[in-house]
Amino acid sequence: MSGWGTPSRTVTLGRVQPQSPALRTIYCNHREANFAHRYKGNSISTTKYNVFTFLPKGLYEQFRRVANLYFLMVSILSATPYSPVHPITNMVPLSLVLLFSLIKEAFEDWQRFQNDMTINNSLVDVLQAQGWESLQWKKLQVGDIIRVKQDGFFPADLLLLASTNVDGICYIETANLDGETNLKIRKALERTWDYVTPEKACEFKGEVQCEQPNNSLYTFTGNLVVDNQTMPLSPNQILLRGCSLKNTDYIVGTVIFTGHETKVMMNSMNVPSKRSTLERKLDKLILALFSTLFSMCLLGAIGSGIFIDRKYYYLGLSQSVEDQFNPSKRFLVIILTMLTLLTLYSTIIPISLYVSIETIKFIQSSQFINKDLNMYHAESNTPASARTSNLNEELGQVEYIFSDKTGTLTRNLMEFFKCSIGGEMYGTGMTEIEMGVAERKGIKVQEAKTSTNSLREKGFNFDDVRLMQGAWRHEPNHDACKEYFRCLAICHTVLPEGEETPEKIRYQAASPDEAALVLAAKNFGFFFYRRTPTMIYVRESHVEKMGKTQDVSYEILNVLEFNSTRKRQSVVCRYPDGRLVLYCKGADTVIYERLGTGNDDLNKVTRVHLEQFGSAGLRTLCLAYRDLAPDLYESWNEKFITAKSSLRDREKRLDEVAELIEKELILIGATAIEDKLQEGVPNCIQTLSRAGIKIWVLTGDKIETAINIAYACNLLNNEMKQFIISSETDAIREVEERGDQTEIARFMKEEVKKQLKQFLDEAPQYFCSPSGPKLALVIDGKCLMYALEPSLRIMLLTLSLNCSSVVCCRVSPLQKAQVTSLVKKGARKITLSIGDGANDVSMIQAAHIGIGISGLEGMQAVMASDFAIAQFRFLEDLLLVHGRWSYIRLCKVVMYFFYKNLAFTLTQFWFTFGTGFSGQRFYDDWFQSLYNVIFTALPVVIVGLFDQENCRNMGLFCSVSISSLLLLRISFKFNEQGFRW
Amino acid sequence: MTDTDRGTQRDRHSAFSLFTQQSLPACKPVLTPEWVIMTFLFIGFIFIPVGLVTLRASHSVVEIVERYDIGCVPEPFRIDKVSYIQDDSIPKNCSLSFKVPKYMKAPIYIYYQLDNYYQNHRRYVKSRSDKQLLHGQNEHGISSCQPVEVNNDRPIIPCGLIAWSLFNDTFTFIRNRAELKVNRKNIAWKSDRGHKFGKNVYPFNFQNGTLIGGGKLNPTIPLSDQEDLIVWMRTSALPSFRKLYGRIEKDLDVDDVVVVHLMNNYNTYSFGGKKKLVLSTTSWLGGKNDFLGLAYVFIGSSSVTIAVVFTLLHLLSPRHYEDTSYLPWN
Repeated sequence: MSGWGTPSRTVTLGRVQPQSPALRTIYCNHREANFAHRYKGNSISTTKYNVFTFLPKGLYEQFRRVANLYFLMVSILSATPYSPVHPITNMVPLSLVLLFSLIKEAFEDWQRFQNDMTINNSLVDVLQAQGWESLQWKKLQVGDIIRVKQDGFFPADLLLLASTNVDGICYIETANLDGETNLKIRKALERTWDYVTPEKACEFKGEVQCEQPNNSLYTFTGNLVVDNQTMPLSPNQILLRGCSLKNTDYIVGTVIFTGHETKVMMNSMNVPSKRSTLERKLDKLILALFSTLFSMCLLGAIGSGIFIDRKYYYLGLSQSVEDQFNPSKRFLVIILTMLTLLTLYSTIIPISLYVSIETIKFIQSSQFINKDLNMYHAESNTPASARTSNLNEELGQVEYIFSDKTGTLTRNLMEFFKCSIGGEMYGTGMTEIEMGVAERKGIKVQEAKTSTNSLREKGFNFDDVRLMQGAWRHEPNHDACKEYFRCLAICHTVLPEGEETPEKIRYQAASPDEAALVLAAKNFGFFFYRRTPTMIYVRESHVEKMGKTQDVSYEILNVLEFNSTRKRQSVVCRYPDGRLVLYCKGADTVIYERLGTGNDDLNKVTRVHLEQFGSAGLRTLCLAYRDLAPDLYESWNEKFITAKSSLRDREKRLDEVAELIEKELILIGATAIEDKLQEGVPNCIQTLSRAGIKIWVLTGDKIETAINIAYACNLLNNEMKQFIISSETDAIREVEERGDQTEIARFMKEEVKKQLKQFLDEAPQYFCSPSGPKLALVIDGKCLMYALEPSLRIMLLTLSLNCSSVVCCRVSPLQKAQVTSLVKKGARKITLSIGDGANDVSMIQAAHIGIGISGLEGMQAVMASDFAIAQFRFLEDLLLVHGRWSYIRLCKVVMYFFYKNLAFTLTQFWFTFGTGFSGQRFYDDWFQSLYNVIFTALPVVIVGLFDQENCRNMGLFCSVSISSLLLLRISFKFNEQGFRW
Repeated sequence: MTDTDRGTQRDRHSAFSLFTQQSLPACKPVLTPEWVIMTFLFIGFIFIPVGLVTLRASHSVVEIVERYDIGCVPEPFRIDKVSYIQDDSIPKNCSLSFKVPKYMKAPIYIYYQLDNYYQNHRRYVKSRSDKQLLHGQNEHGISSCQPVEVNNDRPIIPCGLIAWSLFNDTFTFIRNRAELKVNRKNIAWKSDRGHKFGKNVYPFNFQNGTLIGGGKLNPTIPLSDQEDLIVWMRTSALPSFRKLYGRIEKDLDVDDVVVVHLMNNYNTYSFGGKKKLVLSTTSWLGGKNDFLGLAYVFIGSSSVTIAVVFTLLHLLSPRHYEDTSYLPWN
């Protein structure tokens, strides 16, 4: 108990704070102690307004639009005697527009409220006085101990204490968070496994010290202190709100973050909203209208000052004249007539413009884009979905497309295709790309013969008699093979599901590559069938006789997880016979950096193989292992545990510790996985480029793979002049081998600069001649890093803008975003990013339009995107039909609006000249007030929905890249016509 | 959400589904040269005859316009016309004569025309009380009549600037020494007489002030019968306007000499307005107005010209349909 007093005292000390304020301390199962911290309750509210704030806040939102504010001002003016029109003239349109918008807001908010209420009032079991009691979610408090049953959703962010499963593990589904449907394991700390029953759980007293609420879904740092014993907590013990419990009867957990402080809620807060270029242009147009209005008023007002004269005796100006018509106060006359005319000409501002455009866009996206059968993918039952209706017309102005490769251009259906084991290449198949290359070279491709006993399964498309059916045992390097297959079977984070037989098992993997590799191991006779948090069970058939199998269990000691900076994954395991091995698989570059000396021949041969795989368009991974001496391992493990329990920079420190053991590796071989092109990709790309859209491929793959994919997609061809800036040159390698980081950086920068300059000098000679070849640029991530530096950025931009296709390979997610914003800001063109994985999110958000492929790599890209489609080829319809039509329609709508308002108001303006500039009105009050909001509302919307060009299927005629100035130009033309009317 | 309406064949052809697929039947004209030329020719063939018929109707109208505001001021007063018109002691009699150029069939409408007279000025238009005109004595409804609402603390009926500035020139027509009868009934709108001006409202305290703007009214006749006032109170839209004075219900022959005796009372001299007397017959299309016919003929003949030019261009340098090299982005 004494331990609990200390932190609260430090809090009262205020500024001195010996304890970091970045920590929160939670007393489990102790409501009174937590009460002092005033943690927020668990009820959530996603509504924008409540009953009292709705009117003021809603109106405030509405009046942030200039047009509405202007009409408010004019309405007030028209209640004064200076107004020639009845106040209703301006009040009616304003109130109709406001009413419409407010009803829409209220309706949306009401739905959100209903939703919140259902969530807040759902029930959960909370530990109270030795028993579970059902309580509403909203009554939950930090520190409460609760029970969640199978398939139930977690009401708050929980710390997992115990589970009905053995070893305190439970399975969760995170579909609500990231859309990934594969189950994930969470495991309680061993110390808390017992607190399953309410009787036991009541006794639990612990203190959680953890980071303050934040929005990072995949990190968590904290410690659990029980009886003065500190245990590190990791994301592995955390159950996030929004996830659901699977395959587990129930779990017991303690609430650590509630309500709006949960990670999922903190994530949903700030969605960056994109405004379309057309909308921004509209603001300018409206400003132009305002200045037109002002000059009209000024002209009329000056006229009235000149006109007014006592000679018009019938106007009765000789005695007691009000200021507005008093010939002795001409200046005042001008000022007041100005006000009069402002109210009179108010119809020039299209007050219903925004409302109409929103309506049109909403229908366009919800009825046309979402329901287009041409963009409906029947196999996966996925329609296209416009997640925002702001950007419809922006789709029609796209000039640059930045595309991810894997899962976007390709299917992301990974198939184990080839392998290289111990310096020997296996696998007889031929990829589509290889066939394409061969065809280009003019070699006849013979139909690949398939051996009769070849095994084909989704994810496994490998055929080589030397390895299949256990034949590998007769290979000279069968020990390497065994090591290779074991590495495949052990080094992964895949979860098996279903029956434990090779036929019925299903693998849940974070990435399809992983699943393909485990599947391959299964097919080679190393069947991974069960995983517990500490063990992996593999049914091995490496004994001499076929059909005889042996179940082997490997103890998993440490898992060094994969992330995009590490680009590798390692597992430390202990064989049943006590052998300690680190298995590592990862990208070739990172593995080669960490190989031990000796074995140079093998390394060289494998590198050759890797290059061959790459040029065949295959995705490669290197496998390596390291035997660990027990004492070496023990000392390392201590460091690992401290790093794991550190509260700050845990990720970074874990990475550092991993470096310590992931070295002196011994190469086993390499895997090659095929990822087939999606259907219709080459045609789609060809159509898009005929429409003048430039396509850039940004991929994490190797340069050879990227180039080959680009060939296969029609992005590159042999007629093109290719500029290749690669870091894989001998000169650079030489400098790299010397190992001095600053020297490498300097040299690389020089090299990149030199190449850029050379290409820039070369480019015009191709570019200027009309019949000359098109240009293409290929650049890899390392070079890109230097090329993106401020000093070289301009050169890169000029060069790449002259190229008809650009391929960037080995780029990180951040670089993808940088390249996108380079073009977006540097070239001021409309950009579109398309991708399917979490690594594309930054690029999707950076571009004007982000498109997510709803594919296999989870939903993160889709969640961040503006439009989601199922297949890359649907881009053609989305851009060339919907985008172009929306753009043309909205341009017409805007022009229509300006035309009708100008025609209406200018008539009034000319009439002013015939009335002695007195501001006499030309129209009836009601006619004027309803003209915009009723009489002409529908025709405009109809143009916005139905207007069509004759070109759904006319390919070339659908070219989109109309000059972005078109809108301005045309609308000015229309304005002039309005004047003439 | 959308899958339900994807399914069956029947749904696929429902109107809503056609709408969402954006494949509703639509008119998609392709503007080939033939079509464009035919359209222009068609417009020409429709518009020219319509224009000619309209012009003919307009020409059948006989219109006599005589400006009299200057001619009716005796020579000695022409330097200061304003003081002439404001001097009540000088008789304002005047006569003018004209020869009828063409046979004019009855009814012949008599208008007076004022130019540069802003009857549509906001201050002027506002200065009336419709309530008072219909219901009479009403102390409250006359604030809108400023600045002519009361005189000697008693309300004026009809109040306001419009009534105050009532036009009061009068005309008598003489042909061959005999007076031509002018029908001055039914010159105002029937609805105005019946529903806007009261049958029991009599002029009161009208034109009794120091400043007299225009004509006076007979206080024994109710407003609904004061047709000159009713015509005047229906203010004109433009600063140049005609108002109906009466009708001559006898035909006038060619070369008939008509002498008009008029009382030139109304002051347009202070602001430089013109006064004209207009006699006009009507056709089925109304009064004399050449503009409409000319506009039709002009549009029609331009269309024909354009059609001819396009035909020549098309014959001399024909252009292939679907030739992409003309597209703007090439």
